[in-house]
Amino acid sequence: MTYYLTTVLVYAAVDILACLAISLQFGVSGIVNFSFIIFQAAGAYTAAVLSLPRDTANGGFQTYILGLNLSFPLPWIAATLVGALLAPPIGLVVLRRLRSDYQAIAMLVLSVIASLVVTNTPAFLDGAAGLSLVPQPLSDKFNPYSEAYLWAYTAGALILAVIVFFIAQRIINSPYGRSLRAMRENEVAAKALGKNAVALKMTVFVVGGAIAGLSGAILVGFITTWAPSTWLYPETLILFAAVIVGGRGNNYGAVLGALLVPVGFEEATRYLPPFGPPGLIPALEWVCIGGLILGFLWFRPRGVLPERRRVFPPRRQVAEVGNPSASRD
Amino acid sequence: MSLIVAAFGFGLVSMSIIAISAVGFTMQFGITNMINLAYGQVMIASAYAAYALNNAGVSIWLSLPVGAIFGAVFSFLLNRLVYAPFQRKGTNLIGMVIISLAVSLVIANVMLPIVGYYSVSYHQDPGTTYHFGSIALTGEQILIIALAVVVMLAIYALLRFTRLGKAMRATAANPTLARNCGIPTARVVDLAWLITGALCGVAGTVAGMNSDSFSVASGSEFLIPIIAASILGGAGSPYGAMIGAVIIGEMTEISAAIISPEYKQVVAFAVLVLVMVLRPQGLLAKRGALAAAG
Repeated sequence: MTYYLTTVLVYAAVDILACLAISLQFGVSGIVNFSFIIFQAAGAYTAAVLSLPRDTANGGFQTYILGLNLSFPLPWIAATLVGALLAPPIGLVVLRRLRSDYQAIAMLVLSVIASLVVTNTPAFLDGAAGLSLVPQPLSDKFNPYSEAYLWAYTAGALILAVIVFFIAQRIINSPYGRSLRAMRENEVAAKALGKNAVALKMTVFVVGGAIAGLSGAILVGFITTWAPSTWLYPETLILFAAVIVGGRGNNYGAVLGALLVPVGFEEATRYLPPFGPPGLIPALEWVCIGGLILGFLWFRPRGVLPERRRVFPPRRQVAEVGNPSASRD
Repeated sequence: MSLIVAAFGFGLVSMSIIAISAVGFTMQFGITNMINLAYGQVMIASAYAAYALNNAGVSIWLSLPVGAIFGAVFSFLLNRLVYAPFQRKGTNLIGMVIISLAVSLVIANVMLPIVGYYSVSYHQDPGTTYHFGSIALTGEQILIIALAVVVMLAIYALLRFTRLGKAMRATAANPTLARNCGIPTARVVDLAWLITGALCGVAGTVAGMNSDSFSVASGSEFLIPIIAASILGGAGSPYGAMIGAVIIGEMTEISAAIISPEYKQVVAFAVLVLVMVLRPQGLLAKRGALAAAG
């Protein structure tokens, strides 16, 4: 029971982190990062290879790079950094000149390709089999299978999620967040007011990447395995479904969406009596995710908890001569 | 060296398949301003429709038109029932991309329980093998190449010489103006989805014929070279897509011979990245028959 509860809560924390990052990128700034899951994967792989011993340990049944056997906070910090550092090269190719829908398909293709490359290069991160026996954080000092450890891990994950929530909250309420929304609503107008759209997109891309990397580290530290099958591109779509359902651009909506869609679906199907041939339930689950996106975009495109409308009292002169989209935001 | 020449021969086949599919994909984008990411799944669904007939004992070449009709009707309904209503509602480009990805997920997972998880292959007779130097092609592969040439000429004739083609070009260039000039744009768009859907169905079936086996999961694999070829040629431009298909088809096959077949898609992607950095509008943008709107 403890194991079940802690697992659900750690997954909830990880999904909340991921949805907050997607909400910042997609909801607030209008960037459709279909390669989001590879940022999470990069964080998870980084944390894994930094905390694993060299690949000759454990009888050498898996091959991977590094294997530095670092102690706890370092792999997580490195995972966050790698998530952040992965963003600029991708952003430089994708975010500078492309139209928004090109950006989305470029990142989708990138996500498919990244998983192909990792699968076909066993020497890098153990290919399709993936990494396993990743040591839990501080497992050399505490028994990672004790109830106290599981609860402490869960508490840690949730605290990190809360911290990131407040950071995200600060970001969207700051002048920087206002610029991001202005860019989302009308990029040309934002540029005309002197906002550097590429720089704005790049920073939010980096912030989202860092959050994604951290979420991957938290997840891999708990489940101790990581393989290409856990980060296929449809996983990104689940997170988008969550943010669309919850309410894009609203951090409370992102949290609600994370609890309803990835966590809720996983738990709901656990209690379903098995029916039909094997594989029918997962297939139906994906159909429901797709249906959820279509349904919400049709009936309630702003989600359950819509982004708060921000109205500022007009300053007279500005309101008269100013650009309408600029004075609105 | 002879290995590379042989790979060039296979490149002729894969460029033919990519060309048929990429022209359909890019015309959907050009005429309806819609990047249809469910294209790969419609290809696979059509391939399975042809398989159903083929499995019942009909020759694969006679099943091919069934794949084409299935693809045409499926794409038409997809637009009528999903895409067009969302577009009328004013969903932006980004929203449409998310919708088409969600649709692709739904199609794949509705298909899975119906057709099963295992890959299938057509009952076919590849015919005698013909040798041209180091190039060895089966009779079937030569027919695929011939089919692609015929389809490309037909698309050229359609866009160049018919009233419908002219109306399509007008609709692609400026839908509002075209409507004001008395072109029934709604009907043109319907016909465009039928024609591109038929291309999609043909492409799915010949892709199935050319690969040893295919499964539902092949859909996203098909899509990558198609996207690469379309963007390389300039999205929305059918002639650009043809050139893109030639480049991507040859590069992937030759690199498969030199490096490793596993990295075929990676090479297609590398080309895509280079294009996006150096010339994001593609090779032929704004000069093709269907310049991308916006």
